[in-house]
Amino acid sequence: MPTFKLDDREIPFEKGETIIAAAYRQGVEIPHYCWHPGLSVAANCRMCLVEIEPAAGQRAMMLDILKWDAEKNDYVVDRKPKLQPACQIAASDGMVVRSESSANVKQARAHVQEFLLVNHPVDCPICDQAGECKLQDYWMTQQRTFKRMRDEPVHKPKAQPFGEKIVYDAERCITCTRCIRFCDEVAGDHMLDLRERGNKNEVVLAPGRALEGDYTLMTEHVCPVGALTSSHFRFRARVWTLKEVPSICTGCATGCNTWLDYDPREQKVYRLRPRDNEKVNKFWMCDDGMMSYQHVHENRVKGARTGRGSSEALGVDEAVSRAAELFKKAGKGKVAVVLSAQMSTEDNLVAVELGRQFGASFYLSAKAPWRADKILRNADQNPNRAGATAAAMGAAVGSLRDLMATAGEGKLAAALVLGSDSDVSDAELSAMGRIADVVVLAANEGPLTRSATLVIPVASVAEADGSFVNAKGLAQGFKRGLQLQPEGAPGWQRVAEIGRAMGLDLAYKKFKEVRAALTVKVPTASPDAPAASAAGAGTESHA
Amino acid sequence: MTATTKIIRKPARTLADQSYLLEVVKGLGVTLKHFFKGTAQLVSGNRPDPVKEPYAEGVATIEYPDEKRPYARRWRGVHRLTHREDGSPRCVACLCCSTACPAQCIYIKPAEYPLDDARRGYERYPEEFVIDELRCIFCGFCVEACPCDAIRMDTGLHMTALDNRASFIFDKAMLMSFPSQDNTFLSENPRHEPGDESHPGIDRVRGGH
Repeated sequence: MPTFKLDDREIPFEKGETIIAAAYRQGVEIPHYCWHPGLSVAANCRMCLVEIEPAAGQRAMMLDILKWDAEKNDYVVDRKPKLQPACQIAASDGMVVRSESSANVKQARAHVQEFLLVNHPVDCPICDQAGECKLQDYWMTQQRTFKRMRDEPVHKPKAQPFGEKIVYDAERCITCTRCIRFCDEVAGDHMLDLRERGNKNEVVLAPGRALEGDYTLMTEHVCPVGALTSSHFRFRARVWTLKEVPSICTGCATGCNTWLDYDPREQKVYRLRPRDNEKVNKFWMCDDGMMSYQHVHENRVKGARTGRGSSEALGVDEAVSRAAELFKKAGKGKVAVVLSAQMSTEDNLVAVELGRQFGASFYLSAKAPWRADKILRNADQNPNRAGATAAAMGAAVGSLRDLMATAGEGKLAAALVLGSDSDVSDAELSAMGRIADVVVLAANEGPLTRSATLVIPVASVAEADGSFVNAKGLAQGFKRGLQLQPEGAPGWQRVAEIGRAMGLDLAYKKFKEVRAALTVKVPTASPDAPAASAAGAGTESHA
Repeated sequence: MTATTKIIRKPARTLADQSYLLEVVKGLGVTLKHFFKGTAQLVSGNRPDPVKEPYAEGVATIEYPDEKRPYARRWRGVHRLTHREDGSPRCVACLCCSTACPAQCIYIKPAEYPLDDARRGYERYPEEFVIDELRCIFCGFCVEACPCDAIRMDTGLHMTALDNRASFIFDKAMLMSFPSQDNTFLSENPRHEPGDESHPGIDRVRGGH
């Protein structure tokens, strides 16, 4: 692979790759605003200027300048090399690029930074981007001077709603056009454009349009400054109080990699951000996916309780032993185990082991299909259909409709149900009434908890470790962020407790043990298996 | 080396000493002397101020809580939220104070001004501003952190002893009801209101471009 030299590092590159892209892949950041690894090159922010030494035998491009001479107290004629944007220059073999090591580059960046801040309102205290703003970051690393302009800055519209989800502040905008390029190139809808020129330049909606569609929140995410803010996140939290854990979106079977941002003091999730993964979602997420964090707090199962008319609250321990009694009373062969396409492969694996030891038949609860597109959204609304099916280890897994048919025939005495989502109509679901005892383990209330005789709460994606297998068969793990809710536990743990109370051999006490069992029994569904972990690489965040 | 011995004799006690009576009367005499002196000062009104002249002759007692020592101007008392000229809080709900607070006793719920408000976009405001004065350690970090001079501890008040915990949770209205030691709700630092001619945040229509 050819290489070029960036300061004192050798950077390998592929033919046609730009300097900044090759450096970014090596984890070396050249300061930039308008460049984004997933978008076309605009080269309008001029922050990534670098000095490129001329090839052997060629003259360097030099500019005549007037340089301030402190001794003479006057400007003197001088020359300096012409700088070039690293985002636009293709790397070539043996090229010598000077970034941090060049005083010219450092001076240019400080001046670009000062220029971008000339009309900036510096309203960081009320700006949601404060704390993750490139203007702040580069002021610290590249500038560290006050602006010299003493005139009134140019004023532009503020807090303009761009559709329902995005609010635009033209004064904070540096017109890098990332949002415009995102709409054009990824969302495929030219909703945004620039108007005016120079310091009156601002982003506007296309006439008669609002920012709409499934990919509007990404415009806020690609914005390097606080010009675009999300109306959901607006004013709700300060980013420096948030912690992040790598997670997986539960919105659909694509399995977009995410950062789950939560406040550890309030134990509350505030947002999902895309986590770069070239193999899955690249740098993007859809709006429904980014908003799917709300399920962590909305409509949760608060505690164990009885169902079907009565709603008597139980202690979880009592609910577990009562569930075990019910299954023992129903007897082997008369029990259905309903796996969940919404819960982790680990949860499903332990349920499968319980079912196998008890001679149960397997079914799968899932959400109904939704609107798909060619960008990210998969028609299957369930993040783990493949994982739940694989966890059955070859056993036949029927759909909820099959379960309703079997239940209607009166062949089942009891059911252990994971998850609360249903892809059949409520009328069809009434056949659940033919099953005498339905124990539902779920994080959120849903159609299945309504038909349950016993509901036991389990942890949501934010509160437990686990893994999903996406539609392409890629196993991806997610990490615990929040603490467990009172009386909460991961689904696999509750299933194992019920199994042990039934006298079955389910010795799992720690998550590690379940994951190890998964890796051995179903290696294709485990992110720890060597083949899978190599495929799921990529955890960089490009804000 | 030989040990040296020092003999301490008991003081000779007379009958007068033994009976204690004379000494009691002497002691009462001192008390009465100060009593009459103090009463005379109180009646004539020329009592030295025990706060300003702590070592002056006469009564040195401060009759707390009727009399209080004045606190230093930088003394950190109960918080107040400073007002603008129109009586609304200066606070823009930036959450810097609650971030800086080591006791995590400040809760703020920021809100956005409505679409037609002149301040929309330039500022936000605290829909709720709550300080748990029991948790507060009166370190003053919130005052240091505030970029708007919106929270101050210059009320000169210290926390009253209240009889229930809920009373120590001060809400926005309560925090705005305390004046400073100079009996003002404002702050010395001037500010420009959005919509004023002096405010830099004039929009394009009014700004003429």
